[in-house]
Amino acid sequence: MTEPFLQIRGLRKDYGIVNAVSDVNITVERGEFMTFLGPSGSGKSTTLYILAGFENPTAGDILLNGESLISTPSHKRNIGMVFQRYTLFPHLSVGENIAFPLKVRRWGKAAIDAKVQAMLRLVRLEGFEDRKPAQMSGGQQQRVALARALAYDPPVLLMDEPLSALDKKLREEIQHEIRRIHQETEVTILYVTHDQEEALRLSDRIAVFSKGVIDQIGTGPELYANPATRFVASFIGDSDFVTCEIVSARDGRADLSIGSGGAIAGVPVHGTAVDGGMAALMLRPERLSLSRISTGAGTTGLSARVNDITFLGSSIHVAASAPSGETLSVRLPFGHEAAAGLSRGDTVFIGFDPASAHVFCG
Amino acid sequence: MLLNFERLGAWKWILLVITGLTAAFLILPIVFIAALSFGSSQWLIFPPPSWTLQWYKAFLADPRWLEAAWTSFRIAAVVTVLSVLIGLVASFGLVRGRFIGKEALRALFLTPMILPVVVLAVALYAFFLRIGLNGTTTGFVIAHLVVALPFSILSMTNALEGFDKSIEDAAVLCGAHPLEAKIRVTLPAISHGLFSAAVFSFLTSWDEVVLAIFMASPTLQTLPVKIWTTLRQDLTPVIAAASTLLVIVTIALMLLAALVRKGLKS
Repeated sequence: MTEPFLQIRGLRKDYGIVNAVSDVNITVERGEFMTFLGPSGSGKSTTLYILAGFENPTAGDILLNGESLISTPSHKRNIGMVFQRYTLFPHLSVGENIAFPLKVRRWGKAAIDAKVQAMLRLVRLEGFEDRKPAQMSGGQQQRVALARALAYDPPVLLMDEPLSALDKKLREEIQHEIRRIHQETEVTILYVTHDQEEALRLSDRIAVFSKGVIDQIGTGPELYANPATRFVASFIGDSDFVTCEIVSARDGRADLSIGSGGAIAGVPVHGTAVDGGMAALMLRPERLSLSRISTGAGTTGLSARVNDITFLGSSIHVAASAPSGETLSVRLPFGHEAAAGLSRGDTVFIGFDPASAHVFCG
Repeated sequence: MLLNFERLGAWKWILLVITGLTAAFLILPIVFIAALSFGSSQWLIFPPPSWTLQWYKAFLADPRWLEAAWTSFRIAAVVTVLSVLIGLVASFGLVRGRFIGKEALRALFLTPMILPVVVLAVALYAFFLRIGLNGTTTGFVIAHLVVALPFSILSMTNALEGFDKSIEDAAVLCGAHPLEAKIRVTLPAISHGLFSAAVFSFLTSWDEVVLAIFMASPTLQTLPVKIWTTLRQDLTPVIAAASTLLVIVTIALMLLAALVRKGLKS
């Protein structure tokens, strides 16, 4: 059996009595783009900093090609990193910045010059080698930082929210660049972000961090379609939650009842379901249907009162309140017949496929 | 802006006059001394009856004056080097270190700035008497180092706090040993702080007189001490010449510092 490329095993980090991350287990394939996604303080950056060697783990191990990295100091790990803030060396030109890791490695002058030119081509900044960092825009600086981090062909590239200081338009532009560079160089990338859209756009797989642990690891579609926890469900894609009661649960499916409404059968259930216990039913706005009257037997759903209707260009967003008072959002394509003539205060029936919903216990 | 100078009306002129008077109050004594140093009157008559360079010639012809100037320069140079080196290490500790009592330690490092110099001078004098450092270059250097270090630490901690440590981390991940990263990346990035530290350390020692009077011996005197002792014995315009030279070196260094700061910014 071949050794996995990069393994993070049972990683734990405590600061005094405060636990930052615990029980982090991730296996990354060579060439994979893996994103650590989570809100601030969820432990994603701490995990990245342990990989970089700036923090020592309290417990656990990191194996690169089967060999532990933990006792190797940062400067000998041969890992590339792009930081959240601009970290170009201010007194050096762009070319000298990219050459820095090569000079440290005692490369010859000709080899350094050739590599600097190749890296400038890779990030599309040919002709900029004599500029000083202060003369470049934020986006350009991050591209130079990327070129510098890749100049020595590191097996792994770490990126710590590299685009968070940029505006939205520039961010999308550089996301494209990062994807292209990932495909061209085939470098393994571990990317930290709190932006789910960025994670979905860039990554092969996403590890969702919450409160210092990984809730779930999977591809974007997997996380979207099959969230393992309520947190993942709320963090990836839009979702609303409705309180419900578990009538009975078996084999990962549950029958529920919502308020005084009818039973809903066969919803995928997560967590420990107790018959008669309360749980949260997760519904995605784009998976819901809306009609004026109950479409009758065989359709699962609940009635609600329309609170607000928002036109969003290609879609129409209807906010409605369930009998319990909880708000449900329904997204309808523009021109959908159900939206015609709909006004605030109307009573509507919101239907969904039980198999596409999820119920989270505990 | 809360106060717009252009819109102050009559206040504008009042402010200008106050500023002018303050500047004159600060600068006139220096101008006065400089004028006297070129005056022909042996009794320092103002305005001078005629102009001459003879007091400068006398200064340059007197080995005691030259030796005092050289002593001042030597001590200031050694103080500068030590102050920058010690200040740099201390600043890294104060800015980057994580330990209890860090803020207290920082305040302690700055106390020589507020402490009356004469108190410090008496204490050092008494202590150096016991260990035989009075009248030695080492004694001078230590005494001046005590008052120079706060300036050095102040300007370097400021520079270091304004420097994003991620930049140094980036250099380390690029493969540079942490020490190499500090030397090749952090130090050039905070060079303006190092430079200010050096200039202020030099000047602190160069024109310091209180500690110097306590540390001096008849054979080891700095220029300010020599001016002071000469002044007590007889009133010669050579003192004015020496004072003017002292001021010229100071102004030259300040100008250099301003130029370098401007150059670093652009």
